[in-house]
Amino acid sequence: MRLRVGARTHVGRVRLLNEDVYLLRARQGLFVVCDGIGGGPSGELASRVAGDTIMARLAPADADVPVAQVRGPYLPRTSLMAEAVRCSNKRVYDRARQDPSHALMGTTVVSAWIAGHVASIAHVGDSRAYLWYGGRLVALTCDHSLASVNANDEEEALVRALGREPEVDVELTEVPVRYGDYLVLCSDGLTRMVPETAVARVIRELRQPQCICDRLVEMANGNGGVDNITVVVVQVMGSWWQRLSTLWTAHAGGIPNAEAHPAD
Amino acid sequence: MPKLILQIDNRVLNTCVVDQRASIGRRADNTVVVDNSAVSGHHATVFRDGEHFVIEDFASKDGTFVNDKRVSRHTLRDGDAVRLGKGKHTIVFDEQGGAGEVADAAPPEIAAAPGETVYLGADKHKALLDWIRSAQAPAGVAVLRVIEGRADHTEYPLHAYTSVIGKSDAALVRLKGLFKPKEAVAIARSDDGYVATVLRGTTRINKTPIRDRRVLADGDVLEVGGLTLEFKLAG
Repeated sequence: MRLRVGARTHVGRVRLLNEDVYLLRARQGLFVVCDGIGGGPSGELASRVAGDTIMARLAPADADVPVAQVRGPYLPRTSLMAEAVRCSNKRVYDRARQDPSHALMGTTVVSAWIAGHVASIAHVGDSRAYLWYGGRLVALTCDHSLASVNANDEEEALVRALGREPEVDVELTEVPVRYGDYLVLCSDGLTRMVPETAVARVIRELRQPQCICDRLVEMANGNGGVDNITVVVVQVMGSWWQRLSTLWTAHAGGIPNAEAHPAD
Repeated sequence: MPKLILQIDNRVLNTCVVDQRASIGRRADNTVVVDNSAVSGHHATVFRDGEHFVIEDFASKDGTFVNDKRVSRHTLRDGDAVRLGKGKHTIVFDEQGGAGEVADAAPPEIAAAPGETVYLGADKHKALLDWIRSAQAPAGVAVLRVIEGRADHTEYPLHAYTSVIGKSDAALVRLKGLFKPKEAVAIARSDDGYVATVLRGTTRINKTPIRDRRVLADGDVLEVGGLTLEFKLAG
């Protein structure tokens, strides 16, 4: 399984600082998006510390943990990632404790680890993960914000974030991914500005991960760009013969594949 | 043995002994059935992790709360009160449990000398079958039953959120032989049931070749890598 990756972060049109951060380790299939909170340099520091900690904890050398070591209904990889996110929470929390000027810092996180055709997703806060397949965009995460807990609440306030409390609940999801799928990780600067249907359309039309990221950032800015915008798009590629056979059937006017003729 | 006590307004509705694992949800195939529309079909699971018991939310719509704090995973302590979504039901974790309940987890007694042929009355037979079934596949968990082909087991319970069929070491159902894909099919478990995703090679479900994803229904027959498997929902 090969992955093709695109990523883009942009300060937006209103804010002065970009507190979002993305980290990629495509070879390992590891992707992280963090959206810092706390205002100014604090948010930037929080998202950076959280992202770096997660990446460091899941370094390739440590990642090959024996399958039997971690138990429960999740894959060992998923549990490892949850542990890394909990660790990053502690790191940000400790940092905020040490330095009063960063006392209010925190960050959201959404991270994905793709291996063996399964994407493990961990998230805290309102940064989201989506899976696009066959023309459909499916949300893989549920925001930890007041708005999603209580539908009548208009507020954007977060009910869970990294670095605000010594312990954090990390929400986990596993989703099998296959050739032709796209995984999208993004901060709320995108989802508040660009409707999901438009995101799905952009993926269907552009196909190239980097082009998709660039276009989505452009659209978010076009719709106001009130917050920092970060998008990571991962395309799951097949083997060379899978791509060849898709090309072949498409040219021969043969069996339409799911990507070319999205189901509704 | 530890118990889960289902209560509403401090009134006990049901108690259930947890040996290894118990599922909690609205649907009838759960170990603890909570009849309330605020509760998801398969809402949460309690399972043994070494010395302790852990509750894990099944990515339910309205969440699982332990002592009024929302959790996705939580190690249970004696007296912890679990609330599901916005529902009024409470499930109290009783670590010590009542000694009298332990018998529930043991097989029905059959009085006979070793080696002697015994006649089982219809009731006892049924009780024994029920016990065997519950021991093999905990309630709420679907199984893949091998109909044809070479496999390590005859039945594979789909406990995990993701179960893989393939040649890989991490696969639940291991395919044997040359030219078999490392990961042929992944079956994902969620609130709404099970979805099969075809990853590599040819997989047929009920004789139809499947190219991407499909929701599995009770009795579906999967043909993958020389194996024929039947998907059975519990209950």
